[in-house]
Amino acid sequence: MSGSNGNGHLYVPQLAAIVKITDETYDTKTFTLRFVDDDYRKNFTFKSGQFIELSVFGAGEAPFGFASSPNRREDFDVTIRAVGHVTNALHAKREGDLVGVRGPLGNHFPFEEVMGYDILFVGGGIGLPPLRSLIEPMLEAREKFGRIIILYGARTPADRVYKPWLAELEKRQDIEFMQTVDVGDDSWTGNVGVVTTLFKKISVDPSKTVAFTCGPPIMIKFVIQDLLQMGFDGDHIISTLERYMKCGVGKCGHCAIGHKYVCTDGPVFSFTQMRALREQW
Amino acid sequence: MNVGDKLSAPKDQILKALDRLRKNWKIIGPTEGPDGEVIFREVTSSDEITFNYVNELDPIKRFLAPPTEELFKFRTDGQLKLELPEAPPRQILFGIRSCDVKGIQHWDKFYSGKFVDDAYFARRNNTVLISLACNEPLETCFCICTDTGPYLKEGDGYDVQLTDLGERFLVEIGTDRGLQVLEEAGFKAEAASAQELAKRDELMQQCDTKFETTAFMAKGIVQMTNGRVRDGLWEEMGHECFSCGACTHLCPMCTCFDVQDVMESEGCGHRERCWDSCQYAGYTREASGHNPRASASSRIQRRFYHKLSFAYIKQDGHHGCVGCGRCIIACEAIGLLDLPAVLKRLRREGQPVEVTQVPTE
Repeated sequence: MSGSNGNGHLYVPQLAAIVKITDETYDTKTFTLRFVDDDYRKNFTFKSGQFIELSVFGAGEAPFGFASSPNRREDFDVTIRAVGHVTNALHAKREGDLVGVRGPLGNHFPFEEVMGYDILFVGGGIGLPPLRSLIEPMLEAREKFGRIIILYGARTPADRVYKPWLAELEKRQDIEFMQTVDVGDDSWTGNVGVVTTLFKKISVDPSKTVAFTCGPPIMIKFVIQDLLQMGFDGDHIISTLERYMKCGVGKCGHCAIGHKYVCTDGPVFSFTQMRALREQW
Repeated sequence: MNVGDKLSAPKDQILKALDRLRKNWKIIGPTEGPDGEVIFREVTSSDEITFNYVNELDPIKRFLAPPTEELFKFRTDGQLKLELPEAPPRQILFGIRSCDVKGIQHWDKFYSGKFVDDAYFARRNNTVLISLACNEPLETCFCICTDTGPYLKEGDGYDVQLTDLGERFLVEIGTDRGLQVLEEAGFKAEAASAQELAKRDELMQQCDTKFETTAFMAKGIVQMTNGRVRDGLWEEMGHECFSCGACTHLCPMCTCFDVQDVMESEGCGHRERCWDSCQYAGYTREASGHNPRASASSRIQRRFYHKLSFAYIKQDGHHGCVGCGRCIIACEAIGLLDLPAVLKRLRREGQPVEVTQVPTE
């Protein structure tokens, strides 16, 4: 059956209502979306790491990763920074407004495959949202995983997303959680420095650990460099790649990197796969 | 009549069949333009059809994927509603050439797979391809190098393939769809005689000898696959290229598109897609301004990687060129950046080509 959204046409979105808008930072909001059609909503599932193509009718369509646990069935979150045409139009929307959703699209993070391993999350800035779609279900099935270490870095304390959730993570006894900022402020008493400076504060066994990292490309480069130096295998380093996307289903060509399409072969790639791409990722 | 039949008929029988089909089908055929060039367009009578042509510069793909195509309408006043456009009319593409048929075959494969492009197939499923094999190439044609012409074999994608034998056409029925449309037209023909089949072979072999442009695909494929092309060569090409996108727009194998929402009036608009080009500066530009292919050299490298690398050949089942020669005619950097010219430059790089690892996934 064709269609990325189950209603038979590949490019026609399902309608969803914005049920909640949460301000995260001065330019970033989380939109909680709920499908209008009850049957569709009940049958809709996704996996951590996948994304949707979100339509603001009149402005256009753009891809955003799921930012909430797949186990939450009533609705789901996407966290979006206002940068361009579609995202600014979305930031002008209010709770109750309707948008279009096509998805779930893309591949996904490994989950069952990494059970039993220690898990290291390294997130930067707005790279945390897709990681949250994986952290939450892992915490919901905590006993299936070994150590869970979460390292999160942002430019400033105000630039961190999910501040209440971060406070909850701080309280948990069953994970190791550290935050850092590039530049502190008057009230910040935590670490100061880029996220890779947190590596010297942890000790992991690379042969038993799988690392997940999302964030700005420059951060990813340095994080991967350090992970490799620590002895991580390319298959145990999982990240996401991004490109300008349009169709989200491997037809329009925009998101190609080498012979792969970020929208269908990705967005999740292991470093081994990234290394094999014949184009700068 | 059966699929696989090789029949022959006087030329006017085919043209009369087209006239009968016009009641229920849009007939798109070759007509003579104001400067004697050929233009494929809708004809209201077979009288308008010319056979004095090789091929049109404008690509035939425009009849299956219009340069601008509405995907759906939306109304934002009152209750939000999305509406699909009307089903496209049935159409016969008559007199198209082998290279364009092979291009369409690629589109059919590329636009299906895991995700099926409904907008493309709405039009494609209503389309019949009646191609005309070439007895003479243009000086820019090189379909023998890409194995996409001048004559097509069974399974190459035509519904009906015609060969001009002089007074008569050889008619080869390729698919059920081709058979059905001939039956609908009340077309009657006899089996081709042994002489006629021999004449066809003779014409085909004669045509093979007339090609002036060559493109040695193999070495280019190995070089692109193994990354054995010096950066300096792409830099030189980047300086030559105008990033005009003519090559991609005219290429039967190029499929990229962009999507935009267009407001028609207050509360009513549509989403459309339009042809796009990997050669445009903004093709990979992100909202932040970051552009992974900011340089023309990286974009040209991308184009030829897509056309020639084994990784793509493995995915698509064939390389990305049908030898139609449109890029040779159209390229602003005359004689420098069309596919045969680039292949020649790659070959002459002279680096020993060592077959190393091919990406296996």
